[in-house]
Amino acid sequence: MEPSRGLSAPPGRALGAPIAGLALLAAGVVALPQLTRDSYYLDVATTILMNLALTMSLRLQVSTGQLNMAHISFMGIGAYASALLVTRVGISFWAALPIAAVVAALLAFPIGGLALRVTGPYYFLITFAFSEVVRLFFNNFFVDLFGGPSGLVGIPKPSALPWFGRALTFTTKLELYTLMAALLLVTAAVLVRLEHSRFGLVASAIRQGDLLAETLGVNVFRYKLTAYVVGSLVAGVAGAFFAHSHQVLHSSDFGLEPMVLLVVFTVIGGTGSVWGPVAGTVLMTIAGELLRELHHYESLVFGVVLILTMLWAPDGLVALPGKLARRRRVGVSLAP
Amino acid sequence: MLELTDLSVHYGTVAAVDSVSVTVAEGEIVAIIGPNGAGKTSTLRALSGLVRPSGGRVMFRGTDISRWRPHRIVALGLSHAPEGRRLFPQMTVLENLRMGAYRRRDRDAVARTLGEVLERFPRLAERRHQPAGTLSGGEQQMLTIGRALMSGPAMLILDEPSFGLAPLLVREIRAIVQSINRERGVAVLLVEQNARMALAVAGRAYVMETGRIVLSGSAAMLRESPHVKAAYLGG
Repeated sequence: MEPSRGLSAPPGRALGAPIAGLALLAAGVVALPQLTRDSYYLDVATTILMNLALTMSLRLQVSTGQLNMAHISFMGIGAYASALLVTRVGISFWAALPIAAVVAALLAFPIGGLALRVTGPYYFLITFAFSEVVRLFFNNFFVDLFGGPSGLVGIPKPSALPWFGRALTFTTKLELYTLMAALLLVTAAVLVRLEHSRFGLVASAIRQGDLLAETLGVNVFRYKLTAYVVGSLVAGVAGAFFAHSHQVLHSSDFGLEPMVLLVVFTVIGGTGSVWGPVAGTVLMTIAGELLRELHHYESLVFGVVLILTMLWAPDGLVALPGKLARRRRVGVSLAP
Repeated sequence: MLELTDLSVHYGTVAAVDSVSVTVAEGEIVAIIGPNGAGKTSTLRALSGLVRPSGGRVMFRGTDISRWRPHRIVALGLSHAPEGRRLFPQMTVLENLRMGAYRRRDRDAVARTLGEVLERFPRLAERRHQPAGTLSGGEQQMLTIGRALMSGPAMLILDEPSFGLAPLLVREIRAIVQSINRERGVAVLLVEQNARMALAVAGRAYVMETGRIVLSGSAAMLRESPHVKAAYLGG
């Protein structure tokens, strides 16, 4: 083991990496509409971008050590809040979007504060139970407000924005794609910045040994709660976008099934890196579209991929290239 | 400086620590020796806030910290690396050291401490960008001590620093503990199964067996005690 390698900058934490990653993401997002304007591809791409906001924020929470099964509920809270603010209160989408996000974040305080008192399987169960409560609440209570089992309909698309004397409209698929792209790029920039800050270092410390972090003076609970609230804020933004792009909300949009998909995307991509969920979400959504013919078997394939990932790449797809490179390097150095 | 009075720790109805009283004065090195399962680690866990004592009191620098959370106790100047996971294995040596200074806000002072720690442990300096999980046992132990120093503690708690190390490394760790104590005036509470090492480095020591202190006194006196000789120093 020569010292020169020990002194070189470690991969991943090098300064250029986060900026390069963001630039690559931005380039991909900008390039897509130049390649195709087909409404099917734009639809899939918009869904990917929205899911990216959800999985990247879910990964922020996982990065402090725990899997929040209620993440999708905060998307739902944001969605219903924004839809009702626009349809009942009559404010514009642009005012409703931040308010919806803040509502989701404010509710995350007591709920996260309660759930984070326990760890491991208990945390998983508490957050799962909470997500069911939220779903049933939207389904069964205040039916004239939330629309009950038949769903909430008639949500308008985002209103036009004045822009240097012109009006930016958000009605076509391309315009909605552009809006979600802008929301995602801001979100990704914030989350990547956070990952490479002191917060990211401490989160990784908590993940690797929460008792140890606590004895070094870290208020572990506060970090977990911060990740929970910030993640829920992002989920609220995604929810508001979802409400006004789909224009129809149903409680099952925020149930177990879409939540499991988010977990699958995130875990397959890898939770150790901020880019893991990006890889997982993009690849698995495309795979899902290609497998559409299989209907119900689609989730079976997802399940198999998840199991294979956990067996052979527990750190996710993004950790694979590094692992293979290390194996090759060791192989070379062992050769005579 | 540190005063445990009648400290007890129960797990369910089982007493792991039973009315233990231990004191450590400013600048002193004190050891607690005893066999596996004697309650040494439970004592440490109680005084660093990882478990709640079921009875008794922990005073540190005149403050009752018996029911404090760990992160507040660190802020007061008590540094403890728990048994089990001692390092963040996927973090580099430098990142582990930076985590040690978590509570400190003065960047310049932290940079100075980091310089001192790297000077004291040249091997850590060489490997500063290497993940801690890839270090050897001795290097990991040094990193544990180095990280504890990063908090600029008034008192250091070392839990089995010689565990699993070759005799030569044990001697090196011993010298490091002594020099930290001498040069920085840091009080040290050392918990060890290796009684020979502990009694060589400490001024005073306590012998703990089945949750109780059975013997205490100066290290020189304990080295001569027939009980200690028979049970811990191999006759």
